[in-house]
Amino acid sequence: MKPLDGVRICDFTLHAAGPYGTHYLSMLGAQCIKIESRARLDIHRRPHPVYGRLEPAEFDQGNGDKYAIELNLRKPKGVELAKKLVSVSDIATENFRPGVIRKLGLSYDVLKQLKPSLVMASVSAAGQIGPEWSDPGYAPIFAAVGGLGYLTGYDDGPPVELRNMMDNVTGMTMACAVLVALYKARKTGIGEHVDVAAREVASSFMGDAMVAASAGIPVQRKGNEMPYASPHGVYPCVGHDTWISVSVSTQAQWEALARSLDAAHLMGDERFRDAAQRWHNRKALDEVIATLTVRHDRNVLTRQLQAAGVAAFASFSARDLAQDEHLRIRETVMDMTGPQGKTRAVTNAPWRFEKTPARMERWMPGLGEHNEYVFGEILGLAKSEIARLVDEEVIW
Amino acid sequence: MTSSTKEKSLSNNEEGVNPLTPQTGTPLSGVTVVEHGKGVAASYAGRVLAMMGATVIKLERPREGDPLRYEPPLLPTKHANSAIHAYLNVNKASVTLDVATGAGRELLVELLRRATIFIDDTHPQSRADWRIAPANICAELPDLIYLSVLPFGAFGPYADYRATEINVFHSSGEGYLLPNGLALEIFPNRPPIKAYGHLGEFQGGTSAALAAAAALLALPAAGGQTVDVSVQDANVALSAMTLQRYGDGVLETRPTRSFTYGGVLECADGHVQILLLEQRQWNLMVKMLNAPEWTRAPGMEDPMTRGERGKLINEHLRAWAKTRTVEEVVRLARDAEVPLGKYFTPPDIIASEHERARGFIGEIALDNGTVVSMPTFPFRLSESPVPTLRNVPGRPGEHNAGVIGTMLGHTQDELDLWYSLRVI
Repeated sequence: MKPLDGVRICDFTLHAAGPYGTHYLSMLGAQCIKIESRARLDIHRRPHPVYGRLEPAEFDQGNGDKYAIELNLRKPKGVELAKKLVSVSDIATENFRPGVIRKLGLSYDVLKQLKPSLVMASVSAAGQIGPEWSDPGYAPIFAAVGGLGYLTGYDDGPPVELRNMMDNVTGMTMACAVLVALYKARKTGIGEHVDVAAREVASSFMGDAMVAASAGIPVQRKGNEMPYASPHGVYPCVGHDTWISVSVSTQAQWEALARSLDAAHLMGDERFRDAAQRWHNRKALDEVIATLTVRHDRNVLTRQLQAAGVAAFASFSARDLAQDEHLRIRETVMDMTGPQGKTRAVTNAPWRFEKTPARMERWMPGLGEHNEYVFGEILGLAKSEIARLVDEEVIW
Repeated sequence: MTSSTKEKSLSNNEEGVNPLTPQTGTPLSGVTVVEHGKGVAASYAGRVLAMMGATVIKLERPREGDPLRYEPPLLPTKHANSAIHAYLNVNKASVTLDVATGAGRELLVELLRRATIFIDDTHPQSRADWRIAPANICAELPDLIYLSVLPFGAFGPYADYRATEINVFHSSGEGYLLPNGLALEIFPNRPPIKAYGHLGEFQGGTSAALAAAAALLALPAAGGQTVDVSVQDANVALSAMTLQRYGDGVLETRPTRSFTYGGVLECADGHVQILLLEQRQWNLMVKMLNAPEWTRAPGMEDPMTRGERGKLINEHLRAWAKTRTVEEVVRLARDAEVPLGKYFTPPDIIASEHERARGFIGEIALDNGTVVSMPTFPFRLSESPVPTLRNVPGRPGEHNAGVIGTMLGHTQDELDLWYSLRVI
């Protein structure tokens, strides 16, 4: 049993935050029907020159477990079929540019007439309402407009662009909102239209900075620093581009760190005598620590520091994620084999439910792979009718 | 001060709202959450549920309260209250309880009998010592959702590891890739960084709130259960693209992850971000610049060969932006439909007409009357009220009387005894 057994999603999303949000719901057990057409392919089915990819992706994490159908929304019959599908679904999701879903005749106002308990989610850069509703956006742009990009970076450098993680966490937020709305819909019979603005997702992760700013306390970029914790940073270890993060906040941790780095003499250094001195001299301390950590293997040092009560961990690359024992034991990362027989590491559901385990079960579907099942079994169309709709480029 | 005067008001603000009063019409009205967390992830999960209408009772250590009250920057309040504490604990009730004591644990269980969800981020060793691990609590309370929120989860080789934001963020694959673009060009030899503040933990908290909502939906069929949430797992899942690219044969690093052109542009008075993923967007950008000669040079038309000329493109784009204000560049891009946005500062967002119109920014009074601004919530529900900011807990244990007295039915004498023993 999964938490969302029996829940069906009519998923119009095609790019980044949308598909990733419904991916979470799929892993939780919802049956997610992904709607594409030959003229409107998911981004992973298209070349992506920015990533140097001139052909469709072999695998796309955000589309695992989904049921893929072709439905041409430019045809009136396509829109009618979409409505039929919505009427037998609990959730509908879309991430067109604001306004497009209304032009298609599939707005929440229309769909809720078909299914009053429908939960519909719209994801966009700036939301469905507000003076800047039509602004487009990709992750680095809405992270910038949301303020998180401005506050990320070295204290003497420019802001930093934040990437795919911002798309995916927008999707995660959408999934959370949808489930909260579904909970209410089950109690009241009344659905919701969920309006998710990606730039607000970014801003909501720096609410503390806005509270401070409104109280007249300026907040700026500060690299790896956290106030009054020192040493607190990322330091080199043995090997090319190999790093360990270390966070010291107490005197005991400081002394344990100094001993673990074979540098007990630092405990007698006036510059680093107590937390206040270490904070005052933090730049110098970072340089000293870096000259010491660089002699150590990051994994050995991590274990040593953790045993001594110091918060420390390696800075993981994708290769590390794929190979890490802890992540494998938790099945956070696992292997999946695709239709071509190639096995690769993928991320799994990030929660461990005691009674209703969530999990990614299946590789992403091919375009239109589930046409027959969805149009035939779910919507009850005869094979001859399906064939006719294919000829008419409705199922297309 | 007597305990009765201590409990004069249920709210921190003299004119504030009692957070124990259900918010009718909200999605989670009627759901009670007990939050025993001192980290950002657990607290943010509680905030999400509180903003959606749940009654959230936050347990703090007697006397000093939540450690996050003391994380700078601190606010000019009567009781210790940092910016992050105010943000994370809005709309919650504060109860002080030392669950490490026998009486404190009994009170916890008593409270949990009235709760639907228990959020806990206690280190596994202390959970065992205090007998508040899932195995202890859930045996007594089979209908409870026990939401465990730990840096590396409740099992696995790192389950006992200590971690702060920088450690969990860098354990997920994203920290290794920051910074890229312009910051990396300027400082190619510096160590990687984390994102601002507590991003990794906020994301872990979002993951926890999502899991709580799923467990709520499963409650009628499955009953209560433990949900093991790992902040690392949440962030690894969000880093799926870098793992996906690794599966494609590309190990992303900070230099290789940078966009070949576009990215951060410095203007005369600030920065903007431009991103040109599609040919159509490149064409629009060329039009916006009035098609200067360099955009018509050989190789610029084809997306693949254009990527090889990224350095040259950036030189021109940067020179163009440097002589213009952010406002001008944003206006030109908006008119030309080029994907570009300003790097907003926190005051920009607070003042944003767009965010005000959406109800995203709200105001709340602190215990000394100071009014601060903060985000409400990053989504809107059409059939529910816009989330409102009701109160920020001032003094730790401000709602002891309302919760332990009124809700649990204990007498003032009992409360006084527990105060004297520092149980509450």
